[in-house]
Amino acid sequence: MRVRRVLTRWLVTLGVLHGIVGFAGFFAPYDPVEQDRKSPYLPPMRFHLIDGQGHFHARPFVYALKLREGSFDRYVENTTEPQPVRFFMKGARYRLLGFLPCRRHLFGLENTRIYLLGTDAYGRDQLSRLLFGGQVSLLAGLLGAGITLSIGLCIGAVAGSFGGWRDSLLMRLAELFMALPWLYVLFAIRAFLPLAVSPLRAFFLIITVIGIVGWARPARLVRGVVLSAKERDFVRAARGFGATHGYLFRRHILPETSSVLLTQAAILIPQYVLAEMTLSFLGLGVPEPVPSWGNLLSSLQQYSVLVSYWWIYLPALAMVPFFLGYLGLASSLQERGAAYKIESRIWGI
Amino acid sequence: MILPQHELEDGRKQVQRMTAILEIHDLHVSYRSSGSELSPALKGVSFRLMPGEIMGVLGESGSGKSTLAGSLVRLLPGNALVTGGTVQFEGKDLLQANPDELQAIRGRHISLIFQEPSLALHPTIRVGEQVRQVLAAHGSRGKRTLNERTRQIFAEIFPEETDRISRSYPHQLSGGQRQRVLIAQAIACGPSVVVADEPTASLDPTTQMEILGVFRRLRERLGLAMIFITHNPALLSDFADHVLVLYAGEVAECGPAESVLGLPRHPYTKALFQSTPAVSGKPGTGRKAKLPVILGDSSRSSLPIRGCCFEPRCTERMEICKEREPSPANLSVSHTVSCFKYES
Repeated sequence: MRVRRVLTRWLVTLGVLHGIVGFAGFFAPYDPVEQDRKSPYLPPMRFHLIDGQGHFHARPFVYALKLREGSFDRYVENTTEPQPVRFFMKGARYRLLGFLPCRRHLFGLENTRIYLLGTDAYGRDQLSRLLFGGQVSLLAGLLGAGITLSIGLCIGAVAGSFGGWRDSLLMRLAELFMALPWLYVLFAIRAFLPLAVSPLRAFFLIITVIGIVGWARPARLVRGVVLSAKERDFVRAARGFGATHGYLFRRHILPETSSVLLTQAAILIPQYVLAEMTLSFLGLGVPEPVPSWGNLLSSLQQYSVLVSYWWIYLPALAMVPFFLGYLGLASSLQERGAAYKIESRIWGI
Repeated sequence: MILPQHELEDGRKQVQRMTAILEIHDLHVSYRSSGSELSPALKGVSFRLMPGEIMGVLGESGSGKSTLAGSLVRLLPGNALVTGGTVQFEGKDLLQANPDELQAIRGRHISLIFQEPSLALHPTIRVGEQVRQVLAAHGSRGKRTLNERTRQIFAEIFPEETDRISRSYPHQLSGGQRQRVLIAQAIACGPSVVVADEPTASLDPTTQMEILGVFRRLRERLGLAMIFITHNPALLSDFADHVLVLYAGEVAECGPAESVLGLPRHPYTKALFQSTPAVSGKPGTGRKAKLPVILGDSSRSSLPIRGCCFEPRCTERMEICKEREPSPANLSVSHTVSCFKYES
């Protein structure tokens, strides 16, 4: 019971996090590619409730930022004009979940622009880019893991059910794939492909490459499960009553692989998000201006940015709760598998 | 009523004609161990099963009982190797049949019931569905007929609480009920032979008797032949028609139940029956009396290279037993014993 509660907690956490990223258009105040050339590298603004004269405002407000006198990159708050924050206000057009046209945003300002997490070199809102970039990176992780698991399931199932030379061949191939330094393989493959491709094509390209490279581990795990499932007494008994191979595979063997696949998914998704980030950070992934967590961080390659503008680091922090969530999910899935085994031993199933 | 009337009559007619439904001839099965070494499990087993007959197979652990059950429908572990012999079923040698033919025969013509009822059912599928799947595996007959047949079969096996049990998961049922579900699966398609591999081994004596009752009733109603494998001779009296005693993969004695159980001839059969505790306290066999045991064990190391395989443990051994293997001697038309004492 306890295991199930922990599992639910992780699932809810991940659900909320993905929800925020999924509905990025609503939570982000601006379009991620919209530039504000007048205010590059603006630091994050702060919410206030009490203004310079000591008056209390029920509605939180921010101060617009202006250049400090005698400086070219230091900003101070313009405390003369409080800018009250408006909620559920109309703003830039976007498509909710990619298809629903919509204009409502969670918050915004009437007169000037609000930058809660600062801006980048082109004055683009870092918060909006972070949220929209999450969509790209997480989708890459999810789709990549999906591809890997499908290939792994197919190959593992073939190796496990047929055995013999097919098994040996596939497993030696899997060992070869596991021995490959996959990051460098990704570089090599990416190097073969044209440099200037459209963002969408680049996105699907890296998903496919990442997804195909990782099949070996899930395939080996699935093969192990299939091998042990084949020898179960109830599978033998079903064969004694004339069950076909197709039926046995569908009803008896496939369901047993689900726990391994789920755990693998929870491990692979963050791993693949990280892979996408690595590639994009190095400029081999999704190209500008489309945001992704990797290319948000890529401006950190410049020394001046690295030492001067701490808010550019924030996307690296943003992935931490996601990764923790997936790791927690993976470990509680594993625990659930173990608990199921113990329980079934008790009940003699 | 499970089978249509005409099929039932067919079964009876076959009994009258007395042609064997299953004929095993000189069956050799070996297991491949780590090397290329073969360790034999069955060494030339032959017998005939008549339609509607219950053949009890008796033997201790390692005598090849389960291997025999598995080899009849070719459901042996991967390292098993059938090295010779034939299994004739309705004029076809099952050992030569291709996988598709075998799949069609299993469950439809020959059903195999495994040892452990708690392990032989899928833990997360309702038992009614599991029986239905057996029917579906042998020709789809439309959803409604399928459900109707499943209900009939359940009503046959579980006259009370038919619906509740068919909707249960295996863990919600008792051992005896699970065994009955397995029987329901076995008879679902109206097979002519059921091979039961120690179906009652994990059940308590009362439930064992109940299960035997179910088998007996089914035999009467459906006229199915059975191979009933057990290590408990007490179960076979007034249940089996014929008894086959296996020792180390060879047939020690085979004959009608009355004569094998009533007057065992082979030294091994005799010793086996002496080692069974008496049900009612006969004088001299009370609680205090020591139960006789067969000395030695049947493990491979004690097997001689030449001579009778029971010779090292036999109390009635003769000089000739060490020299060559006995061949089956006919005591009557159907009673054979592999022992030199009876060789003419």
